[in-house]
Amino acid sequence: MKLVSLLAMFIIAGFMFTGIGKLHLPGDPAGNSNVFSQRSSEKTDTANISTMDDYYLRNGQMETGSNNIVTSVVFDYRGFDTLGEAAVLFLVVTSISMLLFSIIKGKDLEETVLTDSDGFPAGMTRIVSIGTVLMLPIIMAFGAYLVIHGHLSPGGGFQGGAVMATGTALLVISSFVVRNLQKTYKLFSFFESLGLTVFIVTGFAGMGISFLHNFLANNDGSFLGKVIPLGTNPGFLNSGGILPILSTAVGIEVFCGISIILVLLSRALNARGSQKGGHKC
Amino acid sequence: MTFSVVLSILCAVILITAVLSILFRDLMAAVVSYAVFGLVMTVIYFMLDAPDVAIAEASIGAALTVCIFVIAIRMTRRREE
Repeated sequence: MKLVSLLAMFIIAGFMFTGIGKLHLPGDPAGNSNVFSQRSSEKTDTANISTMDDYYLRNGQMETGSNNIVTSVVFDYRGFDTLGEAAVLFLVVTSISMLLFSIIKGKDLEETVLTDSDGFPAGMTRIVSIGTVLMLPIIMAFGAYLVIHGHLSPGGGFQGGAVMATGTALLVISSFVVRNLQKTYKLFSFFESLGLTVFIVTGFAGMGISFLHNFLANNDGSFLGKVIPLGTNPGFLNSGGILPILSTAVGIEVFCGISIILVLLSRALNARGSQKGGHKC
Repeated sequence: MTFSVVLSILCAVILITAVLSILFRDLMAAVVSYAVFGLVMTVIYFMLDAPDVAIAEASIGAALTVCIFVIAIRMTRRREE
C-alpha cells in the first residue's frame, strides 16, 4: 500500500517538476525566461505569449472595476465555476452533518462539559486557553479583511472564509465546547444557506444580459460602481460592482460550512470518547 | 540566482516531507509532516507571486486539514498496522 502511495507521489511530483521548468519569472509574462535558466527577455518568442491572460491583464480592471485581476477572473469571468465550487461545498457539509448527527444522536454531552473555576475548558492548560482567546479576534479580523478587500488586494471569499474557519479550528483544537449544539448548528446552517442564496440571486439580477453579469460595475460612482484609474491607487472599497457582494456571500458560506464540519466532528469525538470510556492520544 | 537556489531547496524540502508523511507509522507524526509540507508550499506560492493561492494553502493545507486529521486520528487509532 505504501509502495503504491510512494509511486503515485513520485509520478505526480515528476509532472510538477517538469512544469517548473516552464514557469515564468515573476514579472516577466512574455515567456522568454524560466525560473531555472534566466535568459534575458530581449528576443520575444511570440508562440509562448498567451493571449487569454494578456486580455485579462489589459481589460480586467476596466471591465469589472476590480483592482485585483485574480478576483475579477474568479468571480466575474469564471463566476459560474465559483458557483459550482460553492454548491459542492454546500453538498459536502450537508452529507457530513448527516453522517455525524447519527453518531452524536442521543449522546449529547451538555452536562459533562468540564470547566475550571474561570470558565475555561479543563482539558488544556491555561496557556492554551488564554492564547486562543487572544488570537481569535486577530484571526477573525484578518479573515474579514480578506473577504471585504477581495476585489482590491490578494484574497477573496474562499480565502477569507477559510481563514475565519481557522479560528473555529483553533477553538475546537483547544477543546472549547459548544454549549448548545442544535442552536449553533441552526445559526451556522442558516448563514451558509444565506450565502449561497445571495450568490445565486445576485447572479440572476444581471439576467438582462447574462447570468452573473456585472451590472453594478463602473456606473459613475454610485453603489459599488466607482471607476478606478489603471495603476497604483490607495484602494477604493466602493468599486468592483457585484464582486464584493459575491465575495462576501462566498466568504460567509465557506466560514459557516467549514465551522459546521469542525464543530460536529469535535462533538462526535466527545460522544465516541465517552462511549469507549474516553481514550486520549 | 538566489531565487532559483532557494526555490530548489524548498522543492527538496517538499519532496522529503511528502515521502516522510507516507512512510511514518505514527499517524500524528505523518500529519505534522503534512502540515510542514503545506507551510513550505505556502512559501513557494508566495515566492512565485501568487499570494491568493498562498493564503488559501496556508489556511486550508496547514490548518484546517490538519485539524480534521487530528480529530479523525483521535476518533480511531494512532498507530498504523
